Amino acid sequence: MSARALGALALSVALTSALDAHANPLDTFGFGSRGTALGGATSADVKDFSANYYNPAGLSRARGVELSLGYFRVEHALAINGKDNHVDPVKGLVGGLVVPGKLLGIPFAFGLALHLPDDRISRVRALRQEQPRWELYDNRNQRLYLATNVSVSPFEWLQVGGGLSFMSSTQGRLDISGSADVTQPEHSQLRHEVDANLTAIRYPQAGIRVALGPRVALAAVYRGEFKLKLDLKARLHGDIQGLTTALYDLETHSVNAFLPQQLVFGGSWRVTDDLRVNFDATWINWSAYVAPVAKLDVSLDIPPPQGGWPASITPPTTPAPQHIVPIVMHDRVVPHVGVEWRAIARPTWEAFTRAGYEYAKSPIAAQTGVTNYVDRDRHSVSFGVGARLVSPLRELPGDVRFDAHAQYSALRLATTAKADPSDFVGDYTADGHIWNVGISATVGF
Amino acid sequence: MAAVIAGCATLGSTGQGDVDLPSSGVGPFRKLATLETKDVAPFVFHDNVRRYRQPSAVAEDDDPNSARVVLFAVATEVTTLGGPARDFIVRTRADDGRSFFATAADLSLHAQHAPTVVLVPDAPWEGDRLASPDAMRVGGEWWLYYAGAGGIGLARSKDGVTFRKEVAPLLALDASASDPWETSAPSAPSVARYPDGRWRMLYAAGGQIGEASSDDGVAWTRVDADPTTPAMDPVLGVAANVADASLAPGEKPPFDTGEVGDPCLLLRVTASGRLHVRVLYTGWDGPRGAPDRTSAIGFAARYGDSGRLVRNAAPVYSVAQHEAAPSLFTWDGGALLYVEQLMPASGSGAGASPAYPGIAAAFAPPAQTLAPAGDFPDTN
Repeated sequence: MSARALGALALSVALTSALDAHANPLDTFGFGSRGTALGGATSADVKDFSANYYNPAGLSRARGVELSLGYFRVEHALAINGKDNHVDPVKGLVGGLVVPGKLLGIPFAFGLALHLPDDRISRVRALRQEQPRWELYDNRNQRLYLATNVSVSPFEWLQVGGGLSFMSSTQGRLDISGSADVTQPEHSQLRHEVDANLTAIRYPQAGIRVALGPRVALAAVYRGEFKLKLDLKARLHGDIQGLTTALYDLETHSVNAFLPQQLVFGGSWRVTDDLRVNFDATWINWSAYVAPVAKLDVSLDIPPPQGGWPASITPPTTPAPQHIVPIVMHDRVVPHVGVEWRAIARPTWEAFTRAGYEYAKSPIAAQTGVTNYVDRDRHSVSFGVGARLVSPLRELPGDVRFDAHAQYSALRLATTAKADPSDFVGDYTADGHIWNVGISATVGF
Repeated sequence: MAAVIAGCATLGSTGQGDVDLPSSGVGPFRKLATLETKDVAPFVFHDNVRRYRQPSAVAEDDDPNSARVVLFAVATEVTTLGGPARDFIVRTRADDGRSFFATAADLSLHAQHAPTVVLVPDAPWEGDRLASPDAMRVGGEWWLYYAGAGGIGLARSKDGVTFRKEVAPLLALDASASDPWETSAPSAPSVARYPDGRWRMLYAAGGQIGEASSDDGVAWTRVDADPTTPAMDPVLGVAANVADASLAPGEKPPFDTGEVGDPCLLLRVTASGRLHVRVLYTGWDGPRGAPDRTSAIGFAARYGDSGRLVRNAAPVYSVAQHEAAPSLFTWDGGALLYVEQLMPASGSGAGASPAYPGIAAAFAPPAQTLAPAGDFPDTN
């Protein structure tokens, strides 16, 4: 099998296995301390475990087996009308594995990456469309991330990689039946059944890296679209105190999280032996976004008892159907810039300092109607340090690396003015700050 | 160590992200739950003899953390001679916004408690029924607007208990005016002061809601909601009828196609710096006198100091118990909506109690739970 064929195979596996995928915190906060410190501008300059996210093609540049483990924590201070909305922190382990080798004489690598939140594996929330929420920070980043990739390097100047990320969708059914005694609830006899399924879904990613020379490289990455669906059914039926029967059917369908497809174009320029400058531009197809608003189908049937309802009882009626207003979002190009300086270079160890910047203009259209998907333009600056120990032990013939990062994001203050004065939410201002800190360690074998 | 840290994934806390969300401050509301009132939920001030109704709530002090409320309401005179019962205005108070002095549950503990009578009908223009109190604190005084048979009057007090009335109504039916919509004497006043010091009043007349302005709160002039038409226009009329055939399955027709009234005028300046005129009101789905008409509390608003109000199609409070006459009290803990609504009939035979009106309360934000109701005050 030729190198070209092997690369094509890896890509085709990735691209044909799944067309649907999901939201993850990596898009917002980066993956691994080095990548985050460089402002996410690493698509042409990555070869550690974070290549599983930034550019799978980089995996085959690894020199040996590497095992990485880290931790990061993101604290939000996002406020509407000056009051903190207590958006949950995003935190947890990050880690991964890079296993390089040769296949038919061609450099080949397998990669595995994981973000394991330490509060919850996943969070499901389907809110009313009117309820204000920080759409890009509130719920969609509370996710586990798992990805596997393969990469080949048919030529020294070319690397190609791709793979899959995994998530699960939720389908459930709740059935309650029996008899209800409204005057003595403890005498009610109710049976319930719960049937829930978490079904696996996948989404693809693929990348390519081309070295134009010893100091310049270009890269392109594609990340697939993903929809995390939430389908729930509830049925309540039974006898009410011998007076009448009641039937309540509810079905809700929503896309609980959506990851738009993305295209990344990046470059890396090694200006000197000690200084590297990276640039990435990420096109995000936000216009395809599906908001996590539940579509409810409700059926209620409670026939009146013989002789009609007592005057003191007003039977409930079927709720009016809700018209769901589609969210309007615009495609965006997010620029990322990163600089890495090798501050100290010794035969047995090296030290690095890093800085990065990215600007994410909000993709969400002005919320002048009934919906309240709150977001603001975000400027992020990041800093980091790293140390590389060269073969520190006989048992560790590879490198041992330690990296740390701190990222500060400012969401600019802006006012949302409602067109309808009888809106229940009304005008509001929103702004905020986000701190992201983390560390990671890599051991090479 | 990694396994230990990862194990923490099973110890996740309940997610947040929905704390201190913005709101126009006017609901939607949910009725009080059992533990949130010491009376029969959602009632906070009721008595089957005096039949309290048409509440007007005022903060007792300027502390935004305090839920101490003074409540004015209409009560029916207890007659022993069989003559016509008059309607007068009483005052009560609660330290938590919910446990009102002299409500039925308080009377079961302290039979001697009685609300203070602050106004009785004694002027010829008032007839024998006072209605729709609207209280506010102005400087060091308490001002109490109210309705009589011939229009809208004003009484003022230094202590909130002993009031001195203006002799004549401030706003009466103007027979000479070209106001085709104002077919009855103005009633149900609600007054507020704009940030620039001007006064505005909303009032009900002819089944619609009109507006008047004043420089001093005493001399009032009607305001035309739409100067582009030759006639004076109300700021809020009834909603247009919607044919049943055009409604989607489960969709309900407008709740206020028959009559609108009982305005409760609330002002604020929004986060964008706009004057936001908010009005809670009662909407009925049938004309006055219709035997089976139902009501709900609605919300209408406008930006700026003049013009028609825009209604929200969804009521802010609807329990199908003839709810009416909204009054709002807000503090840092939330917003309490006081309404008049029907206490359902109870019992049977000799012990039966017919339905009667009382004052119930509802709360916003609806997802939040209030602490259990506190003790009744010892004094009024």
